[in-house]
Amino acid sequence: MSGTAAGASGDNPVRPPGITRDLVAGLLLVTVAAGAFFGTTDLSNGEGAGIGPGLMPRGIALLLGGVGALIVVLSFFGARAPIGGIALRGPLFVLGSVVLFAVSIRTLGLAFAGPLAVIVSALADRDSRPLEIIIFAAALTLLCVGLFKFALRLPIPLAPMLLGY
Amino acid sequence: MEIFDNIMLGFSVALGLKNLGLCFLGCMIGTLIGVLPGVGPVATISMLLPITFGIDPVGALIMLAGIYYGAQYGGSTTAILVNIPGEATSVVTTLDGHQMARQGRAGVALGIAAIGSFVAGCIATIIIALLAVPMARMALLFKPADYFALMILGLMLAVVLARGSIPKAIAMILAGVLLSTVGRDLETGEERLIFGWSELDDGIDFAVIAMGVFGFAEILRNLYMPESRNVVQATIGRLLPSRLDFRQSFWPIIRGTGLGSFLGLLPGNGAVLAPFASYSIEKKLATDPSRFGCGAIEGVAGPESANNAGAQTAFIPLLTLGIPPNAVMALMVGAMTIHNLVPGPEIMTKQPKLFWGMIASMWIGNLMLIVINLPMIGIWVRLLKVPYRLLFPAIVLFCCIGIYSVNNNPVDVYLTAAFGLLGYVLIRLDFEPAPLLLGFVLGRLLEEKLRQAMAISRGSAWTFVEHRIAAVMLAISVVALIIAVLPSMRQKRNIVFAE
Repeated sequence: MSGTAAGASGDNPVRPPGITRDLVAGLLLVTVAAGAFFGTTDLSNGEGAGIGPGLMPRGIALLLGGVGALIVVLSFFGARAPIGGIALRGPLFVLGSVVLFAVSIRTLGLAFAGPLAVIVSALADRDSRPLEIIIFAAALTLLCVGLFKFALRLPIPLAPMLLGY
Repeated sequence: MEIFDNIMLGFSVALGLKNLGLCFLGCMIGTLIGVLPGVGPVATISMLLPITFGIDPVGALIMLAGIYYGAQYGGSTTAILVNIPGEATSVVTTLDGHQMARQGRAGVALGIAAIGSFVAGCIATIIIALLAVPMARMALLFKPADYFALMILGLMLAVVLARGSIPKAIAMILAGVLLSTVGRDLETGEERLIFGWSELDDGIDFAVIAMGVFGFAEILRNLYMPESRNVVQATIGRLLPSRLDFRQSFWPIIRGTGLGSFLGLLPGNGAVLAPFASYSIEKKLATDPSRFGCGAIEGVAGPESANNAGAQTAFIPLLTLGIPPNAVMALMVGAMTIHNLVPGPEIMTKQPKLFWGMIASMWIGNLMLIVINLPMIGIWVRLLKVPYRLLFPAIVLFCCIGIYSVNNNPVDVYLTAAFGLLGYVLIRLDFEPAPLLLGFVLGRLLEEKLRQAMAISRGSAWTFVEHRIAAVMLAISVVALIIAVLPSMRQKRNIVFAE
């Protein structure tokens, strides 16, 4: 990973990298740390021998914020990897298919949620072929129903609206 | 002798028909995912965790362990035939293994990799059997303060041995520990960091994080960086290495095993480091170093033995101290927790069948893997032709079903998608996600031991200095960190990982 980053920044040495990956990384950590720190203000640190529920999360948040700040500072020195574009196609379809599965598993059941997840996630790859993926989705769902529902007897809904289970 | 009784007990458990079958199943799945690039043991084991609910704990752990070391065997097949590592631990094998394949010696490379792995697996199994009892006895003497210090040491070594930036690795561990505090506090019952979302009351499920950050985020990473596969079309040729091959490989296998066994014990990714170390040692010791990179059999035999030995001895800290040294062992903690087992020194005394059965199964599994890998090599080669465009939707579906089955709750599936997104962002920002999982797994124990230690010492933090074991371990942690950030060491570290 670092190899490609160094190569990318080496290609255009003239343009100063504006927002670097490390800067974003550090700021993200500081934000998370701040959220955790202020999210636990109502919990006690404990007194004397008894450590309260607030000490550990707040202590860790402070450390995390410190490390985040350090990464922010360090991001202005040394090799600076530009943030680069973020490919949206992959996350959109893969994670979208997972959400669709979650929405539909209780109502439509595995018989429909299964192929739905397979087909939608396959859209994440430009090279996927429609007919191939439809056949594959059907075959895979059959396999999963056989394996998880009947062989392993997991209590996963199959098709509640049609079959009632 | 006591140890023989123990091993006999182990074999009596492992040779039961059901456990034998589960061991074989684990080895098969392990080889399968090892062969397929882009599907790792972490993602697979987290996918299969929910399925192990119905199996008894011994069988479940035997199967999951088989997946882990089976993947080490399978990874080398892909490295040799396709020149891409099936697993992170077989990166080095691509250097000389693929060259051997191009010279028509693919079979010999596969053969020596399997034989080296087998020898390493046998020796490592014996080492586990020998070391386990004294290590567990030592661990029983540990006070809470010592345990706390041990975990800090483990996490610190994980940071030092991880690849990439040290501050980022530390940040990942801290984030993991922070995530482990989410949910109801175990002592006071107060809600922590759930931001009014009652679904998080019981804390975040381990499988949710593992599958999101490793399963889904890995898919997204692979889609972002498409790979090209050039399966060697030439025939594989004879599998059995010649007498000369054996003579050349004998010492590399022994040295690789020793190195791997030692590095596997260390927290962090010892097993990943081992093949690199073995390769550079063999290159230094060789009479003609220029052969390396052009198909030197030592360059396959040494690293392959090292990675398998490391994969096995990584079980020692888990089973005796209850400290997982890497992400896969962290998953093993998850698997044990599902079955209400607490990893640690008590496992051996309270669950001797589980402990010794698992160890015996490792030896049996290594034997099975030789059979699975060598005569059946043709099947695995054909599998390599399954394109990733079909593979990843299948993984998505398996993950969805697996995660839903943990609690039969769709909310877990949503959460996993969110962690998938988080994992992808982390990868794109050059974070290595493995320490996050380690921090998450150890987080609760860390807090528990800290509280116990402070309660015993009546609130005095000096307890960590007064306990000699704890003080030594904390000192080593600090020294390791300081050495790692020294400019001269930082350069060396970069070279090691760049090779």
